[in-house]
Amino acid sequence: MLVYTVRRLLGAVPVLVLASILTFVLIDVSGDPLADLRLQQPPPDPSVIQLQEERLYLDRSMAERYWLWVTGIGGNGDIGLLQGEFGPSTQSTTYDIGANIAERLGVTLRLVGAAMVLAFGLAVLTGVVSAMRQYSKVDYTLTFIGFLALAMPTFWFAGIMQSAGVGFNELVGTQVFATIGDGTYQAQGQDLWGRITNAFAYMTLPTIVLMLTTFASWSRYQRTSMLEVLNSDYVRLARAKGLPERVVIRRHALRTALIPLTTVTAVGMAAIIDGTVLTERVFQWRGLGEFFIAAVDSNDSYALMAWLMLSGTTVIVANLIADLLYGVLDPRIRYE
Amino acid sequence: MHRSRKTLALAAAGTSAMMALTACAGGADPAEEVRQITWVINNVPSQWASTSGAGGSVYTVQMLSGVVPNTGTYLPNGEYEFNMDVLAEEPVLINGDLDEGPFQYSFTLHEDAVWNDGTPMTAEDLRVTVMMTASPSEGYCTTCDPRGSATEDMIDTMEVDGKTLTVTLKEGMADPEWTSLFDFASAGAGFYPSHLAEENGWDVEDPDQLGEFYTWLHDTRPEWSGGPFQIVDGDLTNQVVKEPNPEWWGAETQVDRIIHPFNTEEGTFVTAFANGEIDGANPAQYSEDVILGLQDLPGATVTVAEGSTWEHIDLNTENEWLADVELRRAIFTAIDRADIAERLYGTGYPDYELKNNHIFNSDSEYYTDYIGETAQGTGDTEAAIEILEEAGYELDGDTLTLDGEQVGPLRLRTTDTDIRSTSVQLVQSHLAAIGIEANIEMSDDLGGDLTEADYDIFQFGWSGSPYFAGSAHQFWHSESGSNFGSISNEDIDAAAEAANSAPTLDEAAEYSNEAVELVVQEAYVLPILADPNYFFASDRVAGIEDNLFSSFRATYNIGEWALAE
Repeated sequence: MLVYTVRRLLGAVPVLVLASILTFVLIDVSGDPLADLRLQQPPPDPSVIQLQEERLYLDRSMAERYWLWVTGIGGNGDIGLLQGEFGPSTQSTTYDIGANIAERLGVTLRLVGAAMVLAFGLAVLTGVVSAMRQYSKVDYTLTFIGFLALAMPTFWFAGIMQSAGVGFNELVGTQVFATIGDGTYQAQGQDLWGRITNAFAYMTLPTIVLMLTTFASWSRYQRTSMLEVLNSDYVRLARAKGLPERVVIRRHALRTALIPLTTVTAVGMAAIIDGTVLTERVFQWRGLGEFFIAAVDSNDSYALMAWLMLSGTTVIVANLIADLLYGVLDPRIRYE
Repeated sequence: MHRSRKTLALAAAGTSAMMALTACAGGADPAEEVRQITWVINNVPSQWASTSGAGGSVYTVQMLSGVVPNTGTYLPNGEYEFNMDVLAEEPVLINGDLDEGPFQYSFTLHEDAVWNDGTPMTAEDLRVTVMMTASPSEGYCTTCDPRGSATEDMIDTMEVDGKTLTVTLKEGMADPEWTSLFDFASAGAGFYPSHLAEENGWDVEDPDQLGEFYTWLHDTRPEWSGGPFQIVDGDLTNQVVKEPNPEWWGAETQVDRIIHPFNTEEGTFVTAFANGEIDGANPAQYSEDVILGLQDLPGATVTVAEGSTWEHIDLNTENEWLADVELRRAIFTAIDRADIAERLYGTGYPDYELKNNHIFNSDSEYYTDYIGETAQGTGDTEAAIEILEEAGYELDGDTLTLDGEQVGPLRLRTTDTDIRSTSVQLVQSHLAAIGIEANIEMSDDLGGDLTEADYDIFQFGWSGSPYFAGSAHQFWHSESGSNFGSISNEDIDAAAEAANSAPTLDEAAEYSNEAVELVVQEAYVLPILADPNYFFASDRVAGIEDNLFSSFRATYNIGEWALAE
């Protein structure tokens, strides 16, 4: 498996290089990073614009900039992916794109992590129940809920959840749920219990939104997979041998039926990390989604490229994990 | 039985947890323990000082309100007020008559004025601030990138005498807005503590080291303060927390803590306000849905008024057709501004006012209505066609022609906002009525497209300011980088130059109005109206009001904020 993993990682290098070229060219031609500065009132002195052009390497050709961005050779020490520098930012002369993206990734993972665990659990539960009660009222109800969750626009659903949270707070006469922010500052100086209640207040609503909008499709996978397994010969044999139904489901059917979902989840994680833009925006979490929006708003090319490269890398790694998980979960698969 | 007992236990545990959380959440409300106001800043400031291009946003200025001292501001009623906590006396014009000698003025700081580390404020703070906000080409600072030039290379000497700074301009130069050098609208939105440069080992006379001090100010959360509040916590991502400056020598502050959360999504204001998470905000954008939502909430005061950004339609005179002034006049005559304004703001802000002077609002003492004297912006199709026919154009069915050749089609551009999209669609229909085909193209690079004059007709907005002397020069001077549609008129150039260097505001206004009149005759820029701004505040706070004459908005008087009794 180690050889396979290394081979896959090496295979990812040309993909990443291609992705970096595409990313760079698309962003580079999409706009002027100094557009806002040029429109400022009163207008900045031409020497200020020149200073910024030099700082952002806009006085060099696109090919030179790409080379600089990848290698950092010939730069001012603030650029070069291979040196761990993502480049200068339009947002500030001292804005460290790498440090910011790492910090934001942490915020996003906090939000996504909880939502994913819950979504996975809910998807497995509803998928299994739906499969076992196929064409029953329970199955139809869960199917309806699943499709409803799939169809709901995230920003709209998030707004509804915020209103529901406020309604609940008014009902109980105190602020149980917060609607904006991640609660980092509010947790400062609190004891353990205070931190728990604080996390509950700030995490519940966005987590529910991410969880419900994610679980629906996973639940459908789980239902289909479970149905397929339940109709297989070895499950029929297990039942014929007189094993209790609970054992048949838990030990024989569920384990096999989890394989497709596990791999879908691994790949899905990458999509969800990118897809939290709307949830983070509505709940004002300063994660990767907000990082992306701020970069777009301020024509921050290098920050945008960093975000896109992180996305590309995440997808590649997630695919690799999904492939490896196949081998772990299904003993018939071996990597040579 | 076993199963139902388990279920009951689970339900009981869940209920207990919820009750405990409910109880704890209620007890943790800090607003009950301290006099605290949570005032939203509706974007994320990018730096800790507002003198640079990147840091010089209204969000940075508002975040630093009550921290960076300044010498004066316009009040919500449009009157100017010097900050007599900071100044010992109103700034003195020592000589304004250029025949008598160089233009000279002085600022004297208040005797009690100190920074929060106890260091007295001195004229050196003012001098170093000028050095950091002057153009890099003036040689004071090599790496400073100020958002505007404080001095426009006019200063000859700056003399420091304790608390008094005396500024002398170069021979023959005058500055009608000299009193603004350290006020709310200056490049630094105030002045900065120069003694911190020395404390950190930088020599401000060395242009490189002054640049390092400048970078440090922008990069470091200020522990310093020269106002009623100081920043005690926060970052440039989530929020800042301010508490009273113990060394503040002015009137005592009435609140213990002010939190400025950065909130980039206006759609959250209604629920956050209803939930008691915020006390108010002065957003930069107009949003009818949010305004209507807030107006429905108990305890909310919501005001909507004319803001500082004004929308206008610009024509590119380098277009082969639009080089003809008669065609430009006809186009502006065909555009119906009242129709546009009514569609955009008729519901949420029915008190809108069409803008009839590019530089002065109707409540300014210098206002003269130049657009109203013409048919421009009236949507008078017949008058427009008359202008065209007199100039030799013909309306051939639905198509306007000149010498048998179709006029246009023209590229009508704007940025993709709801308001501007609606507006240009209306303009498109107005132009169709006089036989001109206009194709709408959205711009996702406003600065780039304007700079490259990549348009025939463009709608966008300028941010207005009570300071006006440089406006005509910036907008219409033939050598200005912001004269995007390339109007070139010697009389406009002369008037703009005269306004920029007039010794008094009255004279500057006279020349500015002269430039406006000429621009109207040229039919180069058609102002539509100022975009409205809104403000909302909870009835639990007092002393907070919107100030649309200042980039500080409601935070302009942050030292006077209080909780309602």
